[in-house]
Amino acid sequence: MPTEHLVMGILIFILTYIAIVSEKIHRTVIAVFGAGLMILFHVLTQEEAFSKIDFNTLGLLIGMMVIVNIIRQTGLFQYLAIKSAKLAKGEPTKILLYFSILTAVASALLDNVTTILLVVPVTLVICDTLELNPIPFIIAEIMSSNIGGAATLIGDPPNIMIGGETGLNFDDFIVNLLPLMVVVFIITVVILRFLFRKSLVSNEESKKLMLSFDEKKAITDHKLLRKSLFILAITITGFVLSELIEVPSASIAMFGAASLLLISKIEPEEVLEKIEWTTIFFFAGLFILVGSLEVLGVIEFFAAKILDLTGGSITAMTMIILWASTFLSSFLDNIPYVATMVPLVTTISEGALQTYEPVWWALSIGACLGGTGTIIGASANVVARGITEKHGYKISFFGYMKIAFPLMLLSIVIASVYLLVFYL
Amino acid sequence: MNRYIESESSQHVMKLVQMGGDVKVVSGKLFYVEFQVSEQLEVAYVYHLNKHNKFFLERTKPYPIPVREFDSADAICDIIKIDVEQFKNAANSHHLEKFIDINSEFHNMILTFEDLFLYYNVDHATFERIQQDIDDIHKRINDAKESASRVYFGKEPDYLEDK
Repeated sequence: MPTEHLVMGILIFILTYIAIVSEKIHRTVIAVFGAGLMILFHVLTQEEAFSKIDFNTLGLLIGMMVIVNIIRQTGLFQYLAIKSAKLAKGEPTKILLYFSILTAVASALLDNVTTILLVVPVTLVICDTLELNPIPFIIAEIMSSNIGGAATLIGDPPNIMIGGETGLNFDDFIVNLLPLMVVVFIITVVILRFLFRKSLVSNEESKKLMLSFDEKKAITDHKLLRKSLFILAITITGFVLSELIEVPSASIAMFGAASLLLISKIEPEEVLEKIEWTTIFFFAGLFILVGSLEVLGVIEFFAAKILDLTGGSITAMTMIILWASTFLSSFLDNIPYVATMVPLVTTISEGALQTYEPVWWALSIGACLGGTGTIIGASANVVARGITEKHGYKISFFGYMKIAFPLMLLSIVIASVYLLVFYL
Repeated sequence: MNRYIESESSQHVMKLVQMGGDVKVVSGKLFYVEFQVSEQLEVAYVYHLNKHNKFFLERTKPYPIPVREFDSADAICDIIKIDVEQFKNAANSHHLEKFIDINSEFHNMILTFEDLFLYYNVDHATFERIQQDIDDIHKRINDAKESASRVYFGKEPDYLEDK
């Protein structure tokens, strides 16, 4: 590899990442632009660039986005939200708990941003009706969404990327991360309920008004709902059985999406135009950018340095990656971070005699839970804040951090103990 | 931005459905069109283009008025073309300002009449008197047509002949 290619490649990578972090230009535009520069300056060929794109990640994301976009048309989420608010008899503390559970479960199956887009608008309407400040609910939902998303392969993009690279499947994520996330979730919600106890009070009249809501009215298309739930169930069963049936998760998601389009008879254009193509192209650009570093040998260089630093100790590496991922992900976009770390950990683990599974779990936990720490820590947080602010309620950076950052630290302490006890 | 529109839209749907409404959200493109037909006169329209073949055209300037509902998107540009031509023609009239003032008054009158009905229990005789006044105005408009010379021949009037 000529030196000028090495210098140029590293320069393009660093400048692109700085531009992504600065958020001055749309992250997708700059990632694809940077990827284009890598090819134009012959850091890697077009064929190499395309081979670096992880189509398992993209396929899984697109497939699930199609399914979710159809399900959301049915009004299912509004139905569940109204039903749970009525189950809570309009009692704000119970609603906070039920909405947090709903958010966490939905986030485990859908991506976090989609979950937030479904749950926050409903929360705002319910809070309006109950004459409550929605901020405690929104903060609980942001945290629940990140925690729920961390529990499964399909819940958060870092997990999709880790799964795509390592072959760790849906069941592996459930078995290894779900128990930890359940504990973290319970502790987080209990503390949040305690912290916000004074704001969670509503009057009898507004409760009565809320109880007059009819959840059945929320379902817009019963037939479509039945079909969508059937396909979602089949798809999730497919994820669970993916190893047994020897079909990768992206193919399962894409097949689920195609099947739902087929049986729902919804115009594909209508659904496909709602796919978050900016996210898909962002991923594609990142894969090429990070792939360039692999071609240049930069990843190998840093892998060797990390091995030197940790002396090859899995325990040290797991803890370093867990805590470093947490702090970095709480302030920066975790997607480019994980996109870079995935080939790095793969390179470190090549030829190792021990299993690197704990390191992968540490990366996943740190990247996903780190996002809960600040209001800019994850896309879902930023979207939730945007919607809430448009509704007239401000969630300040430090106001959120004062509550969420200590909770994030507590969850990482719990995760450290979990990894040390069960894996190291 | 789409995310925020989606969020806003689902809040609206939820509130309206719970109020008992039957809500259909139609995606499409909203057009705002403005024509500066003379130095003093601006004509503006708004319409929503969608694939459900129901198009609502509304003129927003010089005074707001729903124009029509169409089943074909092509008809909208034709109607706007004629409308703008007519206003270009009307812009030469010395009575343009008065015409716009009277139209605005008609519009305000509809709103005040609505307030009267929605906020007060009005007796039958008042409605009868208002109806009579409106009939008189209709008659005056039709009489005026008989004695005035026609200035636009691009198409036939939509309403005047029926009265």
